[in-house]
Amino acid sequence: MAIIVKGRSISKGCAEGEALVCREPIGFNFGIDVSNGVITEYKHELFGKSIKDRILLFPHGKGSTGGSYVVYQLAKNKTGPKAIINMTTETIIAVGAIMGSIPVMDSLEKNPYDLIFDGDHVKVDADHGLVVIEK
Amino acid sequence: MHLTDTEKRMRDGELGEPVRTAMAILMALGEIYGAEKLIPIRSAHVAGLSLKSHGLAGTEWAEDMASRGARVCIPTTMNVIGVDRSRDLHLPQAWVKDQLRIEAAYERMGCLGTSSCVPYYLGFVPRFQEHIAWAESSAVVFTNSVLGARDNREAGPSALASGLTGRTPLSGLHLEENRKGDVLFKVSAPLTNLADYGALGSYVGRIIGTKVPVFERMQEPSIEDLVYLGAGLASSGGVAMFHAVGVTPEAPTIESAFGGKKYEVLEITAKELEEGKQKLTSAKDRKVDYVAIGCPHCSLNQLKELATLLQGRRVNKETTLWIHTNVAIKSLANQLGYVQVIEDAGAVVTQDLCTILGNPEALGFKTLATNSPKMAFYAPGSNGFEVWYGSVEQCIEAAVHGSWNA
Repeated sequence: MAIIVKGRSISKGCAEGEALVCREPIGFNFGIDVSNGVITEYKHELFGKSIKDRILLFPHGKGSTGGSYVVYQLAKNKTGPKAIINMTTETIIAVGAIMGSIPVMDSLEKNPYDLIFDGDHVKVDADHGLVVIEK
Repeated sequence: MHLTDTEKRMRDGELGEPVRTAMAILMALGEIYGAEKLIPIRSAHVAGLSLKSHGLAGTEWAEDMASRGARVCIPTTMNVIGVDRSRDLHLPQAWVKDQLRIEAAYERMGCLGTSSCVPYYLGFVPRFQEHIAWAESSAVVFTNSVLGARDNREAGPSALASGLTGRTPLSGLHLEENRKGDVLFKVSAPLTNLADYGALGSYVGRIIGTKVPVFERMQEPSIEDLVYLGAGLASSGGVAMFHAVGVTPEAPTIESAFGGKKYEVLEITAKELEEGKQKLTSAKDRKVDYVAIGCPHCSLNQLKELATLLQGRRVNKETTLWIHTNVAIKSLANQLGYVQVIEDAGAVVTQDLCTILGNPEALGFKTLATNSPKMAFYAPGSNGFEVWYGSVEQCIEAAVHGSWNA
């Protein structure tokens, strides 16, 4: 069974993969190892986990405004998420994702935390404003 | 989004490829955030210029923009970089070389090599209600909150795009209605130094995310206190502005801070402040081999205070003390004799760089002491340091004794 939810496209493109759900905001600058996508922020919920190749759900970005370049680096190094789903995407994530062509959607018509769980297969189709969750 | 004829020509590449790229970034943001048009801005501040942020990918992107003729058309200051251009701090040669490539690319684009996170200490002071496009999270909070300028949390590349076009989308905090408070914090905890203000900011940033906090009962803070408050708010959280009732220009009263919006009320007692400090402390080993002050960069007042604290004292031979500021403030402090006093004590006054954007970890340090909420928050992830957090006096004692004894 597939659940299809509409949302707002922030950065165009389409990608699918395994979901990684994070309830804390993520600061990309100084908070992640760009060589492997592992979160390095002290005491962060995802500390020690890699976001590489995942469909990453987190509420919004935070912290340093240099984060866009880190998102771009992750995209170029192929160590970043395949796609991002936010509650509300802020400028830092939006700009980095647009530069690095990582599909991003936010403001889904249903709360993504009620629908998406770690390991779910999720497709983010930001060209058509749709998120598809396989159950 | 409505574009003027000139903006349409910029969008279509008639003013060159880099302007087209810049317009693509700004128009994407404008569409996402519902801007009806672009507005002119007076200045921009580009950030994320550390090699840690740019990496090779970002460096090549910036060099490509510069080579294709990108040139800023408004005053565009540059943020901190990862090296001190005035002296050899024994950082790895490859690091220095690659970092200077980034600096050079932005200078080729006409950006001003101020290399500092506090342009407002250097005479780049936007007036009340002036529209700007500054990145550097702590500077965004400061200009919005303390100066009453209009700025969003610009990303490094979007600030550059604004520098190249002289424009930013009319959205977010450029609109009066988005500048009102969301949560009232009644502060009963005594705030006696920068570390207290920083811990307050860090505590509140963690719980408030991207909302606008309003502080009540803040007693006569200094400009430096407000800088540290903002640096705390913008590192643990994504805060772009705050109000302090009776202190900041858009909050003469609680009513004006909230503009009729409903709001939540939370208390900040000594307990919450202590929790803020504890969350910034990650060290266990009391031996301190690295002490760093100046994140955001030190003001002249701070350097004077440090000179007083270090007068006639000696930094422990197993500890390194770096004090971060920019070339302008360092020059003045040098002329006034503060730098000599500080360096006679065995400390180093750096310019251009800072701990989290540089790589002092290459020198083998393990345990950092600082009074900066921003440095304490990022250093474990950025430098791999364990951190002691406390007042500047506690940090200087740690530097002199080589251990944290608070």
